[in-house]
Amino acid sequence: MRTNRIIERVLDHGVAPLLLVPSVVLLFVILLGPFLFMVWTGFTDLHYALPNRDGAFVGFDNFRRLMQDDPIFWHSFWLTMKFVFGVVLVEFAFGLGLALLIFHYIKNHRFILTILLVPMMLAPIAVGLIWKLLLSGDFGMFTYYLRAIGLADLQTSILGNPSLVMPAIMLIDVWQWTPFVTLVILAGLLSLPKEPFEAAIMDGARPLQIFKDVTLPLLRPIIALVLLLRGIDAFKEFDKVFILTGGGPGISTEMLSIYTYRINFRDWDLGYGAVCAFMVYLVVLIMCSVFYKAVYWNEGRSKMAGKAAA
Amino acid sequence: MSVSFNQISKVFADGTVGLDHLDLKFDKGEFIVLLGPSGSGKTTACRILAGLEEATSGSVKVDNLEVTSLPPRERNMGMVFQNYALYGHKTVYENIAYPLRIRKIDKGNIDNRVKAIAKVLQIEDFLDRRPSQLSGGQAQRVAVARAMVWSPDICLMDEPLSNLDALLRLKTRTELKRLHGDLGQTFVFVTHDQEEAMTLGTRIAVLNQGKLAQFDTPRQVYHEPATRFVAEFIGRPAMNIIEGEIKDCVFKSGPFELAVKGQPDGPVALGVRPEQIVLKEVSTDESVGFNLDVLELVEPDALLFVNKGDTSLVVRVMHDIGDLDRGSEVHLEFPDHARHFFEISDGRRRS
Amino acid sequence: MAMVATLIAILILFLTPYLWIVMTSFKTRLDILSDAPVWFFTPTSENYPTIFIDKNYLPLVWNSMIVASFSTILSLAFGTPAAYVFARFEFPGKEDLFFFFLTTRMAPPISIVVPMFLLFSVLGLTDKPIAVILAHTTFNVSLVVWMMRGFFADIPREIDEAAMMDGHTRGGTFLRVLLPLAAPGLAATAVLCFILSWNEFLYAFILVAFEGRTLTVGIPGLVTPHGTLWGQVTSVAVVATLPILFFTFLVQKHLVRGLTFGAVKG
Repeated sequence: MRTNRIIERVLDHGVAPLLLVPSVVLLFVILLGPFLFMVWTGFTDLHYALPNRDGAFVGFDNFRRLMQDDPIFWHSFWLTMKFVFGVVLVEFAFGLGLALLIFHYIKNHRFILTILLVPMMLAPIAVGLIWKLLLSGDFGMFTYYLRAIGLADLQTSILGNPSLVMPAIMLIDVWQWTPFVTLVILAGLLSLPKEPFEAAIMDGARPLQIFKDVTLPLLRPIIALVLLLRGIDAFKEFDKVFILTGGGPGISTEMLSIYTYRINFRDWDLGYGAVCAFMVYLVVLIMCSVFYKAVYWNEGRSKMAGKAAA
Repeated sequence: MSVSFNQISKVFADGTVGLDHLDLKFDKGEFIVLLGPSGSGKTTACRILAGLEEATSGSVKVDNLEVTSLPPRERNMGMVFQNYALYGHKTVYENIAYPLRIRKIDKGNIDNRVKAIAKVLQIEDFLDRRPSQLSGGQAQRVAVARAMVWSPDICLMDEPLSNLDALLRLKTRTELKRLHGDLGQTFVFVTHDQEEAMTLGTRIAVLNQGKLAQFDTPRQVYHEPATRFVAEFIGRPAMNIIEGEIKDCVFKSGPFELAVKGQPDGPVALGVRPEQIVLKEVSTDESVGFNLDVLELVEPDALLFVNKGDTSLVVRVMHDIGDLDRGSEVHLEFPDHARHFFEISDGRRRS
Repeated sequence: MAMVATLIAILILFLTPYLWIVMTSFKTRLDILSDAPVWFFTPTSENYPTIFIDKNYLPLVWNSMIVASFSTILSLAFGTPAAYVFARFEFPGKEDLFFFFLTTRMAPPISIVVPMFLLFSVLGLTDKPIAVILAHTTFNVSLVVWMMRGFFADIPREIDEAAMMDGHTRGGTFLRVLLPLAAPGLAATAVLCFILSWNEFLYAFILVAFEGRTLTVGIPGLVTPHGTLWGQVTSVAVVATLPILFFTFLVQKHLVRGLTFGAVKG
């Protein structure tokens, strides 16, 4: 009985810290711990495949190597950036178009949305598997039809062709994630207040003007959100590339995560690998800050007026 | 220039009838008020006039030109929305300038007109602000400015004062009336507030459940309500309605009896406005005795809630009533001019 | 009408690849390997038992269940109270702390898995699913905090106040009033956590030894340079994806909110 009351008293006064602290501690331990360990490892020469490399301190050697001595890292970095810009742009264009189409012409959203959910909710590794089969040079369904309409020849195996494989992977990503962009923008469109649109109609604006002057500005925070979300996730891309090409042929699809994986878990060059991993984290962190500021700082400002009583 | 609704009906997708064969006609320069409770069809009528909604049948004409199928931007009408609907990402200046920009008016002209109307509505100091930085009253005036800056023939207003607090509402009401006087445009004003309607309108269209109950000047609507609904809707406190029967020139409802002249026998509803019942100090030949139930003193008025049998009345007295308590007997007279008779069946006024 | 046709075409585009995999899992080897794609075939049910029973892939299903369930429970347990605090209290550094939660969700797995791998090796945990469970919790706790903050914020403060006037303490209000009210949101969050954990690949791949593999990890192992048994690997893919699609439809309403960090209410 008495302990109950004590617990209640503690809960009453100390509730906030009590409820918050466990999760913060958990995350600090599971995340910050490894993160700091990764940073530390970057300063060592740790290597699991070479002898006598037990993690001696080497200062900034690894960083120097990354900056000056590793063209493959930078190839990977720019490949990834191209990938990110390419897919985000295309997914945005298609996603916006599809969302507008559905918004204006389809009454029963539920059904369409259900179908659209499929590509984005499949495990990414499964997505890779699906397209590996479809694009197989020997019995891929997709390859067959491409050959049938003359876009490919009997020699072509898309995934084996260095100049075709990256565009192919980008198109697969578009297939996988356009529904996500569509869904978010559609949700945004559905949540927009009707009145500014009616006001614009009464002001004399035509549909295209309304889209430019009212719809887009109102959608801006949501567009920013979805662009950044996709950008960050695209940058981290691993699963489907891993199973589709493993980074090949050669290094033509070796995106940054794949490269980092290779250094750490194939070459076992863990000291250098940690620096690569750190760079990936750094870029994502920067994108995160931009994301946070753009979305949550703007939220208060873009509200359409419907001011309540003074 | 005249505007007319001809047999306008609107049935919504779920079957509810918004408007039932509305016929309404008014002229340029009038301040028309569409008055009614929620669901009466007043907003629907306004939106059909604007072109934001399509009528199920019937036609709308402006100067004998059919506008029913014209899109809003070709109808030469401006609109002030209940929630103002300002463009949150534009400044006040840009909000007002928008209709002018759409019409490709040149920059110099735009500037003049925006500043002019801002001056009239006393918002020149806010031109650089954004809607989120405005108070309710200021936002409302920006909405009015935007609707009128391009000088449309008709200005529609859909309950523009409903979101303002009481004091601001009164002040803005006066300003709107002045604006109408100065600019001479045609105003169509939607409201559920009968006091607003009475003070603002040159003519009031009272709507009930999609039908037009009466279309008259405020004075006529007050003194000669065409239906029981109009009688009860106009005036505060509402008109007293007593249901009873006339037999041999006597109106009877329970213990309440009143001598009447020139009315045929039969069931009838008698209406008397609280402010027109006369309170007498002592009983007279004409008076009827009632029991005082509740007394509300709203200086300088007094509201007396009285009853007799099943009949309850509200009396509004605008003079000193002396010492009256709960349970006292009060003596009430019902002058001829204060009596309104309505049919029990359809509420229509008996002539 | 052209619009509807376009939409139908688009829907076919998005669905067919997945349907192809499902079909493949029911095809015989001959049908799968034929030059021309086979659309009409006699289905066979031999692939599923072969891979799951003969080749003993059934434990992988179980492993996926364990990892997903426990990471969900753990994340909910730690994240929900934190979400409550964010929704109801003010304190300095609140938004910065919220941002910290965001970064944990965004952390690139490849960056974290390396030191995690080293740490767990040292701790001797690499054989046990706990390693993966903890790894998944890093992104799921944030998801819980972000989603549940929104759901709690949707409940008017007055309800808290009424509960406290009725006699509850703050803790009691949280446990007995708010949680039940936020139950639908909680369920949706739980399902989303489960899905994300179930679908995850990299952490599960690196951090657990052979016996503890999850379904997703089981897939690449069947794709080898020497040849792939497509009937079997697609069976695994179907089992790995079909249940998830079912769960997705259950929480469809809240999905957008969860995937956009509560910024957009679906």
